Amino acid sequence: MTDEPLFEARDISKSFAQTRALVGANLTLRAGATHALLGANGAGKSTLSRVISGHVGRDSGVIRYRGAPLDARSPREALDAGIAMVMQETSLAPDLSVLENIFLPDLGRPGRLSRAAMRRRARDILSDLGQAGALSLDAEAGELSAAQRQLVEIAKALALKANLIIFDEPTASLSPSEVERLFDVIARLKSAQCAIVFVSHRLEEVFAISDEITVMREGRTVAASVATSSLNQTELVRLMVGRELGAIYAARAPAAAYGEPVLSIRGLKAPPLVRDVSFDVHRGEILGLGGLVGAGRSETVETIFGLRPRAGGEVRLEGRAFAPRTPAQAIRAGFGFVAEDRRRQSIVPDLTVRENLLLGHLGAHRGFGLGYAKRERRIAQLMERLELPAHRLAEANLLNFSGGMQQKIIIARWLLLEPKVLILDEPTKGVDIGTRASIYAILRDVAATGAAIVVISSEFEELLGLAQRVIVLSDGTSIADLPTAHLDEEKLTLLAAPRSSMERCRNLLQELASQCDGAAFWAILDEERVFCLNAAAANANADPALRVGTAPRFEETSIATGLRARSREFVADSKSGLQSLLVDVRSERGHELGSIGVVIRADRPAPPAAAMRETIQQRFRATL
Amino acid sequence: MKPDFPGTMKASNRAPDGERRARAPFSVRSAPLELRMLALALVIAITLSLMSPYFLKPANLLNLLDQSVVTGIVSIGMTFVILTGGIDLSVGSLVGLTGVILGLSLHHFPIPVAIALAVLSGAGIGLFSGFIIAYFDLAAFVITLGVMAIGRSLAYIFSGQTSISDIPASLNDLVYTTVFGVQTNVLTLLVLYALAWGYLTFTKGGRTIYAIGSNREAARTAGLSVLFYSVVPYVVAGALSAIAATLMSSQILSIDPLAGTGLELDAIAAVVIGGASLYGGRGTIIGTLIGVFIMVMIRNGLNLLGVSPFWQGSAIGAIIIAAVLAERLLSPRTRR
Repeated sequence: MTDEPLFEARDISKSFAQTRALVGANLTLRAGATHALLGANGAGKSTLSRVISGHVGRDSGVIRYRGAPLDARSPREALDAGIAMVMQETSLAPDLSVLENIFLPDLGRPGRLSRAAMRRRARDILSDLGQAGALSLDAEAGELSAAQRQLVEIAKALALKANLIIFDEPTASLSPSEVERLFDVIARLKSAQCAIVFVSHRLEEVFAISDEITVMREGRTVAASVATSSLNQTELVRLMVGRELGAIYAARAPAAAYGEPVLSIRGLKAPPLVRDVSFDVHRGEILGLGGLVGAGRSETVETIFGLRPRAGGEVRLEGRAFAPRTPAQAIRAGFGFVAEDRRRQSIVPDLTVRENLLLGHLGAHRGFGLGYAKRERRIAQLMERLELPAHRLAEANLLNFSGGMQQKIIIARWLLLEPKVLILDEPTKGVDIGTRASIYAILRDVAATGAAIVVISSEFEELLGLAQRVIVLSDGTSIADLPTAHLDEEKLTLLAAPRSSMERCRNLLQELASQCDGAAFWAILDEERVFCLNAAAANANADPALRVGTAPRFEETSIATGLRARSREFVADSKSGLQSLLVDVRSERGHELGSIGVVIRADRPAPPAAAMRETIQQRFRATL
Repeated sequence: MKPDFPGTMKASNRAPDGERRARAPFSVRSAPLELRMLALALVIAITLSLMSPYFLKPANLLNLLDQSVVTGIVSIGMTFVILTGGIDLSVGSLVGLTGVILGLSLHHFPIPVAIALAVLSGAGIGLFSGFIIAYFDLAAFVITLGVMAIGRSLAYIFSGQTSISDIPASLNDLVYTTVFGVQTNVLTLLVLYALAWGYLTFTKGGRTIYAIGSNREAARTAGLSVLFYSVVPYVVAGALSAIAATLMSSQILSIDPLAGTGLELDAIAAVVIGGASLYGGRGTIIGTLIGVFIMVMIRNGLNLLGVSPFWQGSAIGAIIIAAVLAERLLSPRTRR
């Protein structure tokens, strides 16, 4: 594309205490290009990003920016030069409002600020990110969810109008639709001749968005500015980890017939975020809990685990009613819980790694002493099983470990107790690919020994690869319970859509149903099943018996003929005496969004199909 | 630049962190905190012994231990509280109040009952502050500041604004009986430190106190009893204030409602000099003992050298600042 690089870093070295984080790292960036910076955890991506953005100084090396040497000794100097960074660990001031946080860097500049202008600009940025109605400018940053904090962090960088923006794992806590919005924003920045650095563990995203890739390993640059189109995923993984990796997700075990559920949840309520959640999980099963960030997934499992007060509903553990008021009660009953935010909810930095591993034991332990001794053997086994070096247990600070190692220690904390139900909230967040694969393998093993596992993940690919069944939550309500064998990412994305758009869609279906005195539904069809996303009926006699969140085979419905035919006209089903019309719907961008079906009794005259199709397509677009 | 493909690189399946870490030679930085503080204490001791011929005399050394008792005992409770990330400003005034309670009880009850009453009231007041702080999640500084004012005021009211001196002389035995040549008050100090060390190191409660101070949320998620063990340290601090008050009154056979004024600051200073973090989670009971010795040695040394008592505050203050500063500059860990 262009000639002179906008930014060039050569031979950057940096050591922290005894650790050499960077050993001659290079990075070259061009304006108007998105550059992916990749590497396993601990490869030095974050350190390099922080050197560039002035958060840490470098020991040696040269940085040239816009043709002149740059020596930013503080984030302030880097910002003034037009270099901004979206931090991985969010750096928001928890007591300030969203608005104040977005303009925090400006508060450090002399001169007056116009609050009204700031509000206007912040609102524009948030609506670019698709958060116009969802994120209040006056909310306190400390009250926000992880995804919202990340979005504010991104908004903060966008407000700076920088020429070089580093996104350090910006998508780790975002839902797919938010990721799509972010990619739109990045594309716009790119066309405005910004240079973008995109750090991510998600390779699909890297391929979707980047123009060039730089790969780091052990503090060095091992591949610099390779065109993304010239690499495939396998080559990239090999560059990152320095060895071949088997398939990350092993072959999924077929959904076996399970007996009685270990854990059974009915109508769980914990306002404001958990409204009505029901699901079962069985021995030996890995259950996925999907949905957008903010759908109440973390809150649901925290309520089950006794971390949040429960307002209603029933929880049964092995058939007996069970209502823990504290985590200690849940743990003693056989629960384990790997929380979402390792730094905040799991790691105790002043205890040794070993005591961190034993912390769950300490919580479950009754008695005055420690009872560590009786766990020795099991710890040794676990360390071997998790491929962790046993000598590192003696180390003083778990925070010095890589993200993947930290997560393994936290998982080991719970495996030590041999839980009946192990709940993991985003277990692979900030974990490199190599460790991910081994975490998946461990979870599968643990399930095979008879534990029930519940995994929350924002990565639909992970849910589909790991779980046998997925529960989809939307606005605090469980809306679907489907085996993963019948699901794909597209169906999950549509199922997880937020309530507000679902509500509008339901109104449309309701209107269609009463117009023709029948029923209407929104569904995705594949070869043999119909995934019902939404449904409404005005005439009970014309109800095709499609429940939202289910995926019956065609022959299990009363409109099988119509579903199979996929005709542009009404098709009658002789068995049930119903006739149905299917209309494919698309988004503005031409994205396929399944079909709307209209069902009426066969003895009624069918309305003209062509006109019907026209109105449905038009009005559906308006509901999105 | 051309991409560097794996074929051209050295095979590497080394652990990224472990191997890149250079072996550090033994240095001041890598030594445990207690050792560094002990070294500091020795340096002070040697300096003082060079400056004053009396410093190393056995009589003076025993005197040093004797002077460490009250501050030392109160500092144990302060260590517990500071480890959870709290602070207890009320311990000094509780020494005054529980002393007065002891004195009044001695008018009506035998000695053991009177002591038990004093210790129970100290523990009870600790329970009160601890519960309010932990249950309502309030700032320990503010609540204990309030309790400090109330405690001192009650001490004046109960005592009728004068010192109580009509107490049994046999109380003296609590201090001056010797076991294996060691005075009982010093013995009490050492036994209490041993117990506290054992508790903090080898019990569920002790480790929970560290975990709470280091990361309260993680402690809760791991099923530890965060509320209970957030209150325990204040109860311990209150009870130990009463024990300190008992030993103090037994030694001088007189109880002053003013007793223990400013003691909380000495205790906080000892804990901080001993290497504890006021953010919680970091610090040891041995460190605190060394901190107490450092404080007492400096006081004692300055007395021996004939330095005006008015200058002693400046000296102690300078030592606190220097100790904390040195700790920050030497610490291999960066601040969280």
